[in-house]
Amino acid sequence: MSKRATSRPDRLWLALRLPDLPAHALAIDLHTDAALAIIEQRHVVWANTTAIASGVGKGMDASTAQLLSGCVHQERDLSSEQRLLAELSAQLYAFTPYIETYTSQQVPQSGLLLEISSCLMLFGGVLAFVGKVLRFFAEKNLTLAVGLAHSAKAAWLLSFVHYDIHGDENKPVFVERLQRLPIQLLHDYPVQVGALEKTGFVTFGDIARQIAAQSISSIKKRFGQEFAQTLCDIFGIDQDFQQPSLFEKPVVMYKPQEFFNEEIQFEYPIHQIDQLQTPVEHLLQQLADFLRKRQWETHQIEWTLADIYHSKEVMPIYADTAQTQWQLFFDLTLIQLENRDLPFEVDRLTLSCRNIQPIQAQSQLLEFGSKRKHNSQAFTTTAAKLKARLGDACIYKLSYCDSYIPEHSNQRIALNHPSNQQLPDRHLASLRPCWLFKSPIEIEVRQRGLYWRGYLTLLSGPERLQGNWWRTPSARDYFLAQRNDYVRLWVFRDLHKQQWYVQGIYG
Amino acid sequence: MNPNPPDNPQASTPDLEQLLCRRDIWRGGSHRFVPSSTRDTGYVGLNAQLLGGGWPSGNLVEVCQQGFVQSEWLLLTPALTDTQGLIVLLNPPCVPFAQGLIKAGVDLERVLIVESNNKADFLFSFIELTRAAACEAVLAWQPMQSLNYTELRKCQLAATEGQGLYVLFRPAAAAEQSSPASLRLSINLQAQDLQVRIVKQKGELQIVNQPVLLPLPYNWQGFAPHHLLDQTGKPTSNVVHLRPQRGGRRGRK
Repeated sequence: MSKRATSRPDRLWLALRLPDLPAHALAIDLHTDAALAIIEQRHVVWANTTAIASGVGKGMDASTAQLLSGCVHQERDLSSEQRLLAELSAQLYAFTPYIETYTSQQVPQSGLLLEISSCLMLFGGVLAFVGKVLRFFAEKNLTLAVGLAHSAKAAWLLSFVHYDIHGDENKPVFVERLQRLPIQLLHDYPVQVGALEKTGFVTFGDIARQIAAQSISSIKKRFGQEFAQTLCDIFGIDQDFQQPSLFEKPVVMYKPQEFFNEEIQFEYPIHQIDQLQTPVEHLLQQLADFLRKRQWETHQIEWTLADIYHSKEVMPIYADTAQTQWQLFFDLTLIQLENRDLPFEVDRLTLSCRNIQPIQAQSQLLEFGSKRKHNSQAFTTTAAKLKARLGDACIYKLSYCDSYIPEHSNQRIALNHPSNQQLPDRHLASLRPCWLFKSPIEIEVRQRGLYWRGYLTLLSGPERLQGNWWRTPSARDYFLAQRNDYVRLWVFRDLHKQQWYVQGIYG
Repeated sequence: MNPNPPDNPQASTPDLEQLLCRRDIWRGGSHRFVPSSTRDTGYVGLNAQLLGGGWPSGNLVEVCQQGFVQSEWLLLTPALTDTQGLIVLLNPPCVPFAQGLIKAGVDLERVLIVESNNKADFLFSFIELTRAAACEAVLAWQPMQSLNYTELRKCQLAATEGQGLYVLFRPAAAAEQSSPASLRLSINLQAQDLQVRIVKQKGELQIVNQPVLLPLPYNWQGFAPHHLLDQTGKPTSNVVHLRPQRGGRRGRK
């Protein structure tokens, strides 16, 4: 196999590594004198300079770190980190459309990778471009380490060592710099790095010499295709292609998140809800058009009513299932409006929709009963209207939950959850009522017998239901009882409390 | 307001024949208004009494009964187990017991419960549910505030928009009041059976007073308690006497 180092003068990557991202995501002040640490799974993943000076190190147990420095520690918030990276990507879109996010699974090192070759002319060269990016991060008080190289992975590795950027660097310079780096920087490949260290590899230069001597195939054979491909990406090696430009991996273009935001200003202030119907419908039709053209759908929209004095009232509308059409949102909006009075004379109506997802991304339960699936889909609109009017808790399904206590076995579930209908044999063999009281009602014991809205006669039983010994032990003897108006009841005697209760009605 | 000019009274006033052609005008004993589609009740005797041979689809069925629950499932389970669509319980007075429904053969996956807080919400929910094609059966229990004729009329009109089985349960006293429901029943539980009396049936002027008796499940009859098994033939009270127990779990002194 031949190896061929290709010249790619047209690609230049700038790595923006955020070493203090865990702290930025939690809005921690880096200049405080107090010792601070961020932990994940009881281990320190980030510590400030005060804590490090006290001996706290990354990977240290949280208790040890606290004993050493008396530091205050917080739990790492990965979702906030991702959110911050997404925000930065959206803002850096002003510099270049080629932005990738880098997140390591092994170490808390995240950042962004920018392909900048296509926009250097616009910004006046590498030096000016990097200067603008550095100023952008400095304004945001974010700690930044930058690396410049011919490939994304090489730029990321070079961000761990500081080199002044002059603007005239080229690939041989980058490769030469890479060769001085230790291989421990390949954080995502701990197994392979361990194996390389055992065989005497210390720096990337050692690997480069191995590749020069025996080609990349020996590495591929021993450490796998993925690791070999990573090394190729780092060194810019194209494997046995006569025309490598044809097989060049295209740079991923960043797509900024789109959202819908439209408003209508009225000619005169509106003080009746009925007058809002037409503008509401008009805006929703625009939204439906926006979603249809992009093949998107949404669960949530937000109305903002404003008056001439800039008073605002926000009215979010939620739908159970993602919608592409406007009709359900229209009905739900009208239900919401009916339930409230206009807080002021409305001068401006704004519709915004930010939570948008592709239609293909939706997941559906695998159901083979076509009729059942049809039912649930057809009922979606009605369910949404009922929920908007009555509240989410007022519409539900039932499911059986395995429990010895009858009232615990009856479980309320949401409409989109499947019901458990697998009854154990002990219940299948017994008589059960169709109505259950939310909690058992005490039965009066009178001189003539049991009394609950009439005298009771026990017809059959007992059936002993006992269990729950690990919490509150329960032992009950259940009977079928007939009241003097012939209504059949499910009654039981609590053996612990020595009290009779009625729990259900045979209807 | 009458849109027709007043000088043409012939055009503005529909003649009697036109009026009689309307499906919502009831002509006493004429069976022309037999419901176009019905559902088997599961009881031969009841089918025989109902026009069309079953529960009328797309109509309001009103069931008046003593107490807040009695025998709804007994009356309707055969028809409900025969459906494919959703069964919605609107404003049920108690919680349906999952174990009991599964044993009765009702598919829990298709049973939804809707709780309304007041009469306005009840009417809104009833109308929305009858409009939903997926709801094949709506069993509704009148809210605390009694429904007046106009509100019942709204329910009846909403029911005609759908094709399902729409049943409204009301207290026994409501049987004496007027109602626009197409079919009105009064049910009464007896020792051995459920007595069903048809109070009103659209398309039938003379109501047969003979009630229909639906047998109760055999296991509701019960059996003699263990301590009476060896006392066959002796007169027994139908009330179990319970006295405070002073010692031992079985009342040993």
